[in-house]
Amino acid sequence: MTSKNLGRVALAALPFLLALFIDLTLYAAVEDRLPDRLAVHFDAGGSADGFMSLGAYLLFTLPSLLVLGALWAFIAVRGGLHGRADRWFIGGGFAVAAFLGYLLVAVLFVNVDGPEGGPADGLPLWHIAAALAAAALAGALGALLSRSAPLPEDPRRPGPATRERILLADGEVAAWGCGIGAWWAPVAVLVLLAAGVTAGREQSWFIGVPLILFALVTGTFCRPHVTVDRRGLTVSGLLPRPRVRVPLERMEIADSRPVNALAEYGGWGYRIRPERSGVITRSGEAIVVSLTSGREFAVTVADSATGAALLNTLLDRQRAGR
Amino acid sequence: MLFRVDPTSTVPLGDQIAASVRRAVAEGTVAPGERLPAARALAASLGVNVHTVLRGYQRLREEGLIELRRGRGAAITAGASPQRARLLERVREVVADARDLGMTEDELLTLVRNELDA
Repeated sequence: MTSKNLGRVALAALPFLLALFIDLTLYAAVEDRLPDRLAVHFDAGGSADGFMSLGAYLLFTLPSLLVLGALWAFIAVRGGLHGRADRWFIGGGFAVAAFLGYLLVAVLFVNVDGPEGGPADGLPLWHIAAALAAAALAGALGALLSRSAPLPEDPRRPGPATRERILLADGEVAAWGCGIGAWWAPVAVLVLLAAGVTAGREQSWFIGVPLILFALVTGTFCRPHVTVDRRGLTVSGLLPRPRVRVPLERMEIADSRPVNALAEYGGWGYRIRPERSGVITRSGEAIVVSLTSGREFAVTVADSATGAALLNTLLDRQRAGR
Repeated sequence: MLFRVDPTSTVPLGDQIAASVRRAVAEGTVAPGERLPAARALAASLGVNVHTVLRGYQRLREEGLIELRRGRGAAITAGASPQRARLLERVREVVADARDLGMTEDELLTLVRNELDA
């Protein structure tokens, strides 16, 4: 980890540590006036409906700030976020820490000097509004602070891409294919199926059946196959349909470059984002096609250089009118 | 894996498909266990008949480079090393050269057998 990175990791974890510190300080101030049994859960009207001992509250609730802080630090290290996404991420961390930190300590304070030395009757609802306001303020502060730390560089701007071609004789036909199986795909299908069956049995089949259908469609994409040929770029599952196909007519140029699943596509699977879409099974090398519409389409696949080279060759050929 | 076929060539299309796989194995771009595209899909990609693709796959199976399993498609065999693929290429060249020289099958086999016994 570079020192530059270290600064951002510290900034990501900072709000959670601050919130924990403030909460512990405030707790120390009112420690003697707290009952042994706290009201810790409240219904929609603000009346207390859940109780916990003071010790358990301190042991289990406050450390949640530490867990979240560790999560934020982990994403700062591994997520590869950059630019605006990173600003949102840091600001979001400050907002979450402020919201949670406020409510955790508000719960302590409503229990101070409770009726007859017992837990509080309820939590005034204005505390929720105050927590939201604190979150908004802290979020803005975090976004401002994130400007002071050096921004991580944008991995999407590599040097000039080398665009190779594959030498084809006149009339020679070429096709390129590669499987892109991902270990987590069958797991995801099983989880979806289980969720569908459970939801159907426990709740309603109106929820269960769509989930099961979704699992089955996902299932046909457990071992997807990427094809580059005279028809364009195709990602297909076990069955002829559904499939994702980008025809040559809609392409400008193809590149082979590394993509980051979380930072660029916000996750894994078939992703659709404002400026780009793609079938993303992992971070790493991918065929990235610039489309005539100005958008990008990416497929993460091994040996993407050959696939991109063939696409560019086919595009040349199509433009030459052959 | 890159497949290329030239319909204007005198080499049968099925053999050209087999040659594509052989070249990929020889260059190490495919590893044992990797699956080949389904014959129907590859035929549609290349614009050739599905039987042409199956002829090519059959040939690779006879050479021990791929195995065909019913319902599971074709996959590169565990024994398909780059060295083996290159050896197969050389055998093909030897046979082609022998044919050009007008040698009979027996004459060529005798030559190979003599070399093996030496």
